[in-house]
Amino acid sequence: MTVTTRFGTFDATDADVIDFVTPLSGFETCKRYLLLSSPQIAPFACLHGLDAPQPSFLAIDARRVDAAFDCALTDADRQRLRIVGDEALAWLGIVTVDALDATANLRAPIVINPARMLGAQLIPLESVYSIDHPLATG
Amino acid sequence: MLVFTRKRGQAIVIGDGIEVHIVRVGRDGVRIGITAPTSVPVHRREIYDQIRAANASAAASDATSLEQLVAHLRAKT
Repeated sequence: MTVTTRFGTFDATDADVIDFVTPLSGFETCKRYLLLSSPQIAPFACLHGLDAPQPSFLAIDARRVDAAFDCALTDADRQRLRIVGDEALAWLGIVTVDALDATANLRAPIVINPARMLGAQLIPLESVYSIDHPLATG
Repeated sequence: MLVFTRKRGQAIVIGDGIEVHIVRVGRDGVRIGITAPTSVPVHRREIYDQIRAANASAAASDATSLEQLVAHLRAKT
């Protein structure tokens, strides 16, 4: 399928669909997303919702924003995301753009288990990270 | 809204498995302990509201400056 978002047009297949076990707050009705990338928007990716209201987000690797980024998963998170052992996970910050200023939300990161194509927006009870971590763009 | 008067050490039970305990009562704040099944997310309201607002503004972010933004970001690294 060809997916058109305001961040560009991308190719994707049904196998690329990520089911969100904890949807993004405020977008609870949207449970299926595609994580779309292209050389044009790298290092960003586009997290595009397939269910109404089909929200599209810019996202960025949390460790590209803060190389030391680390977020603990609770046992319940691990169960929901069906994480077994030390599987590699993708951690993303949702990006808010205001002209040439951009910030990433590391307070409530997106975690994706690529082995199961399951994702979640985590809201840890405590966190040292900011909801609007500035990207070095200025 | 249900309104209860509770004293320190007392609790409220909600449904099956959720308990709200009054741990300490101070002049400007109340310390509350919550036990809930791990499947029930518990958040501070203001954090939850901030994250909803951040998601909403991210979903409405303008894409017109994306090309410049990408160029800036690449130049930095």
